[in-house]
Amino acid sequence: MIIALDFVLRLALWIALAPLLPGIINKVKAWVAGRRGPPVLQLYFDLARLWRKGVVLSDLASPAFLAASAVGWVAIAAATTLLPVGPAGASLSFQGDFILLIYCLALARFCTVWAAMETGSAFEGMGSAREVSYAVLAEATLIAAVLALCVQTRSLSLPGMLAPATGAGAILLAGGLFIVLLAENCRVPFDDPNTHLELTMIHEVMVLDHSGPPLAVILHGASMKLLLFALLLTQAVLPTGHLAPAWAGVAIGAGVLAVTVGVGLVESLLARFAFRRVPLLLTMAFLLCLFALLIAWKGGAA
Amino acid sequence: MTAGFLLSVGAVAAVAATAAGRRLPRIWLSLVSLACAAALAASVRVLAGAGEWEWRSTYALAGQPVHLRLDALSALFLALLSFIGCSGAVFSREYWSDEHKPDSAPRGRVAWISMLICMALVLTVSNGLHFLIAWELFAVCGYFLLTLDRGNGDARAAGWLYLTCSHAGTLALFAFFSLLAVHTGSWDLGPMRDRPELAPLFWLALFGFGVKAGLFPLHVWLPSAHANAPSHVSALMSGVAIKMGVYGVLRFSGWLPTPQAAGWVLVALGASGALFGIVFGFVQNDLKRLLAYCSVENVGIIFVGLGGALIALRHGEAPWGILLLAGALLHVWNHGAFKSLLFLGSGSLMHATGTRELSRMGGLWRRMPWSTVLFALGAVAVAGLPPLNGFVSEWLVYLGLFQAAATRTVAAWAAVPAAIALATAGAVALAAFAKASSVAFLGAPRSDAAHNAHECGPLMRGPMLAIAALCILLAFLPSLLWPALMRAASDWNPALTAVALPAAMPALALIQATLAAIAAVAVLLLVSRATKTGVRRGPTWDCGFAAPTPRIQYTGGSFSGIVEGWFGWLLQPQRFASDPRGTLPTSSVRVARIPETVLERIVGPVAAFVTGASAIARRLQHGRLQAYLLYILAGVFLVGITVFLGVFL
Repeated sequence: MIIALDFVLRLALWIALAPLLPGIINKVKAWVAGRRGPPVLQLYFDLARLWRKGVVLSDLASPAFLAASAVGWVAIAAATTLLPVGPAGASLSFQGDFILLIYCLALARFCTVWAAMETGSAFEGMGSAREVSYAVLAEATLIAAVLALCVQTRSLSLPGMLAPATGAGAILLAGGLFIVLLAENCRVPFDDPNTHLELTMIHEVMVLDHSGPPLAVILHGASMKLLLFALLLTQAVLPTGHLAPAWAGVAIGAGVLAVTVGVGLVESLLARFAFRRVPLLLTMAFLLCLFALLIAWKGGAA
Repeated sequence: MTAGFLLSVGAVAAVAATAAGRRLPRIWLSLVSLACAAALAASVRVLAGAGEWEWRSTYALAGQPVHLRLDALSALFLALLSFIGCSGAVFSREYWSDEHKPDSAPRGRVAWISMLICMALVLTVSNGLHFLIAWELFAVCGYFLLTLDRGNGDARAAGWLYLTCSHAGTLALFAFFSLLAVHTGSWDLGPMRDRPELAPLFWLALFGFGVKAGLFPLHVWLPSAHANAPSHVSALMSGVAIKMGVYGVLRFSGWLPTPQAAGWVLVALGASGALFGIVFGFVQNDLKRLLAYCSVENVGIIFVGLGGALIALRHGEAPWGILLLAGALLHVWNHGAFKSLLFLGSGSLMHATGTRELSRMGGLWRRMPWSTVLFALGAVAVAGLPPLNGFVSEWLVYLGLFQAAATRTVAAWAAVPAAIALATAGAVALAAFAKASSVAFLGAPRSDAAHNAHECGPLMRGPMLAIAALCILLAFLPSLLWPALMRAASDWNPALTAVALPAAMPALALIQATLAAIAAVAVLLLVSRATKTGVRRGPTWDCGFAAPTPRIQYTGGSFSGIVEGWFGWLLQPQRFASDPRGTLPTSSVRVARIPETVLERIVGPVAAFVTGASAIARRLQHGRLQAYLLYILAGVFLVGITVFLGVFL
């Protein structure tokens, strides 16, 4: 009973806090540009509005169109239950949980692509093709990062991998994971969440034909994914294992905030890359994680 | 009932089925089902721990006493064979029926049951000579099944290629079994792990069985064979027949000692094969070729597991070795299940639309809801996504690789690159099956054929449903399967001590089940919310594009364009174009084609060279008697000189 309650409470916390991050990013962008910008809670208002709105479905869409949005959201939520949060740990952890986490995110991707292809739109097909293609490099990077953590700590589950200090490769790992965060969450320089030029987008173009509650579900899922990556990055880099629980919590919170502000700054100061340069940046991320792995293996503490 | 009794019942039923196949299709089907059920029951008994079944007879066949054995390792493959064999037989009653194919359907039934018998023999015989006979018959039956549709030139060409490659492999196996018999003094097979001088024979076995398994550079026959065979035959070939190659490598790497490098080579071939195989698959626009290349990927995953287990044996670090082997063995079942499902699904598509080209399909979900759901289920499973069976075996392989990497010993040099290659291959597999399922089933119909498609009948749907149920069962019951996997692993090599079920596995199954349940609830919630707020239908928004036509939908070729660009060095895509010219252009053509690189760039030129050299050598044979007398004279002269030199120098 206690376990179930604990599980539900954690999940509720994830669901409640996740939409803060895009708000913070937008605030940072507005601040850099000298605007006042939307309120930090804007995404909450948007979600509430969308949840009340009606749905316009494409004539071509099958019943699986709605199902895909729901399953995609559940897959991301499942991934969040596997990620430990500092001293609080994870709801679920077992040997090899990181593989399930990565594959839950892959399931979410499959669902988004499925829903996008339902509409028979060329734009959405384009976005889907880009999404699955860049994910190849992103997934290789992610697995290299997890391998680095695994070799460093000799642990096979996320709480063991993320708790102790990460050693000399932490900076490389931070760089690699930050790039993956930007790519997987469709931020500049890979994608532009604000643009209305559909030819240039990845993720936003895939949800062009979503509206009402399904769109709300997708937007919320995307914000949870952003929080997931920010937490993963922070804990992979910050040595919080030695701190007192309260301080560790504060450190992780500050880390997530720093990552979010970082995303906002990148978004303000950088233009989106041409698509042919995207693979180069992702390959660089992969190499960073690979070097982190080599350092963990050959140079890390026994 | 003992395994022996069940197997005899199966054998009698199967032999009777060969006799009934030509004229009595219903009796044939009942007999095939009976034979498969009996074989399945026997394998389940052995896997459940009833002990291995062995039968030695004094009756000699080809001069060798008959010796049959069914241990847990062969039972694992026999169970898969009987399940898929039976499902495919039911499927073929509608798919390749007497009404539609009056001349080839009877032949197909006889060849089908003969192929099942020969594969069962390959799995059970314990005599090198009999193994070779069964192996050869199995290959030939495969050829007849593949070329059922004799009028189709592509099928004949694919059959020819299959037969050639298969015999190249068999040649290596002839050498392997003869050398084995020479070294041991008997054709009898069994564990001989204490004879290190036999180790180099592993390479012959790897080549011979690797060709059949479709291990990466030896896979050249596989894409065209699987694509051009009738779909139920493709399902059997991909789900089961290539597993015979896997079985061969497993069996003889377990019974014989292996060279030091064996595990490393297997991991390297498996990991690169997994990645390259699926990249080739992703860029195909022929649905069945895509599925065929994906088999190359999955065989690669199996070989990574097996190679890792061999490395673990060398280093005495059994815990991760057994995880890898269990993952490989489970993947044999999983791939057999979901790939047969997908091939049967592609058969249903071809039945409905008459084409294998993805770019002529589209929007089929409306006409073929059952096929859509079943194919999508297979696609999720093959992409290794939770909560289906493909994920469980890939998870075991990953776990083994990560444990090996965490040791930071020399084994990590194999594990780290293999894990990265598998992750990359996994992401490409997702892309490939997102493409296959969405381009075929979603959007608007791209051709009249797709527009007028029809759902398949109950005899085609039933086997697909059964296999889909197997995919779900295999995902949620790993704890039940674990003892069977451990028995097979210890029959492979007892040095690999069985380990208790990793605590994570039941947890994983539970999480997968919960995930599926919660996802179902979430779907219901969202659908009810959407109906509450009101659903309106309209044309696809597509940024306000006013005149959408089915032809401007994204095609399979454009979907994989980005990855095709990255792997251009490997894929070497060819483009033929005749651009429109003049003021009033008449017609223009643009064709893009992905060649089978290994076949056309390596095997082809070598074969052409051999053919050329033979053509030159053939000029010596012309039928002129005078010249032949001259050859004899020259020969005698040469021998004379040799003898002369030998005697006097």
